[in-house]
Amino acid sequence: MTREWTGAELAAAAERLVPGSVDRATATACFLKRDRLVETMAALRTDSETDFAHLTNLCGVDWWDRFEIVYHVQSLVANHVATIKVEVTDRGNPVVPSVSSVWWGAWMQECEAYDLFGITFDGHPNLHRIFLWEGYPGWPLRKDFLSMPGGLQPGLREFSGIERREPPPVKIVE
Amino acid sequence: MSGIVRSEPFTLNIGPQHPSTHGVFRVKVTVDGEKIVDAEMVMGYLHRAMEKLAEERTYTQNIPFTDRADYLSSMSNNLGYVLAVEKLAGIQVPPRGNAIRVIMAELQRIANHCMAAGTFINDTGAWQTPVMWTFREREKIIDLFEMTSGARLTCNYMRIGGVAFDLPREFEPRARQLLEGLPGFFDEFEGLLVQNEIFLARTRGVGVVPPETAINASLSGPMLRASGVAWDIRKADPYCGYENYDFQIPLGYQGDSFDRFLVRIEEMRQSARIIGQALDGLPGGPHSTQVPLALRPPAGDAYARVEGPKGELGYYIVSDEGPSPYRFHIRAPSFINLSVLKEMVVGGTVADAVVSLGSIDIVIGEVDR
Repeated sequence: MTREWTGAELAAAAERLVPGSVDRATATACFLKRDRLVETMAALRTDSETDFAHLTNLCGVDWWDRFEIVYHVQSLVANHVATIKVEVTDRGNPVVPSVSSVWWGAWMQECEAYDLFGITFDGHPNLHRIFLWEGYPGWPLRKDFLSMPGGLQPGLREFSGIERREPPPVKIVE
Repeated sequence: MSGIVRSEPFTLNIGPQHPSTHGVFRVKVTVDGEKIVDAEMVMGYLHRAMEKLAEERTYTQNIPFTDRADYLSSMSNNLGYVLAVEKLAGIQVPPRGNAIRVIMAELQRIANHCMAAGTFINDTGAWQTPVMWTFREREKIIDLFEMTSGARLTCNYMRIGGVAFDLPREFEPRARQLLEGLPGFFDEFEGLLVQNEIFLARTRGVGVVPPETAINASLSGPMLRASGVAWDIRKADPYCGYENYDFQIPLGYQGDSFDRFLVRIEEMRQSARIIGQALDGLPGGPHSTQVPLALRPPAGDAYARVEGPKGELGYYIVSDEGPSPYRFHIRAPSFINLSVLKEMVVGGTVADAVVSLGSIDIVIGEVDR
């Protein structure tokens, strides 16, 4: 069975490899600091104990006050997985260092996060809107981008007993 | 006359509507003479913002969306999604439900690889006959799906906590009849093509991906195994009781298009073995647990993955204790496997680029989501 690293274990390993790189650790994930992200990721990738040679998944999450970028990494030899997260709070111009120099295959998933969240990956070789076209208004997966006019939530009202999620304080993107 | 032929770079669009792109997908290649010097992918023609739509529907209402991501292997997509929700909510599935899931996922793998192998041979120029052979076998599997779930392609069969319906009585005899015929079909199909000199000339050494590149580029599934990396989530991180079945992981050793084809054929054989074992040991009891319709998983996130026919199919779901996912992300294997396309085609000819693209086995519904 695959072993899942807890946040504390991963934080200890990252702190050993690059001192001062860890922001905080939760039960399942380790939050790294943005300014030393690439260096820490490269160390986690090459170290014999962590050996995270395979970047499995990369995606963003919008929490209103911050964006989280979630990296799922795994080792094919030691058969373990870990969850690494990075936070960025600047909603106007979120910038995160690109890890495509560490795992070259990250470039497409970073393009996807840029396209749908508007997160800029610094140092990316070819950052462009991969699904939508250049000049598309807004960033669709942000929570302030409404998929239905007026913030309708089409699927939920059919079931009695399910109240709708509180509509967020938004302005509609023109 | 100096005798030197001069050429200059020329841009050529493959697609968006071209049979070899398997959907609406465009590759802008720059050719110098006959050699490709640069390739750029243009995608998004089928982008439906599935991840956004899923944030506004309940957990159960999202299952049909996953059918539409990879519409050629809807059962595997259903399975990955419900596993992620079950991991998040801590729901246990009864043994019969797990066995039925394994049967369906492996039938789906055979159906998908039939499609992949058939259209791949179409791309290499063996026009129509092999693809009709594979479609004939795939049709039998789709009939089984229709018998069980009522739908042929978008099955919508898995549910959170189990499967939607129990197997009908006619399922087992029909499935066993199918399993009896499959090995003969594989031998016939392989015998037709694997020794064929034209097929070998078109596929061997085309689109080579070395193992280091395969790992570095986050590849998974047959793409990774054809490069010689022994990695299968059914073995490494078993789900649905895969640890109880006896099967092997086929590996390639050169990482070219021909190896990817062979790996897919051999995987179909192994899937047929798994289905036979699952039918033999099909446990009784309920096929599903009772799960509230208005499911509200505890706050947190979960990433669950299955070995889909195209590779590691992962679902990342974030819950805020609401009735619908706060964030819903599909780790689409065909999308990520495309990241090496440029490395595969640069230096080759346009005709080889079509073979390389066919050997990746992409489905645009999953690439664009």
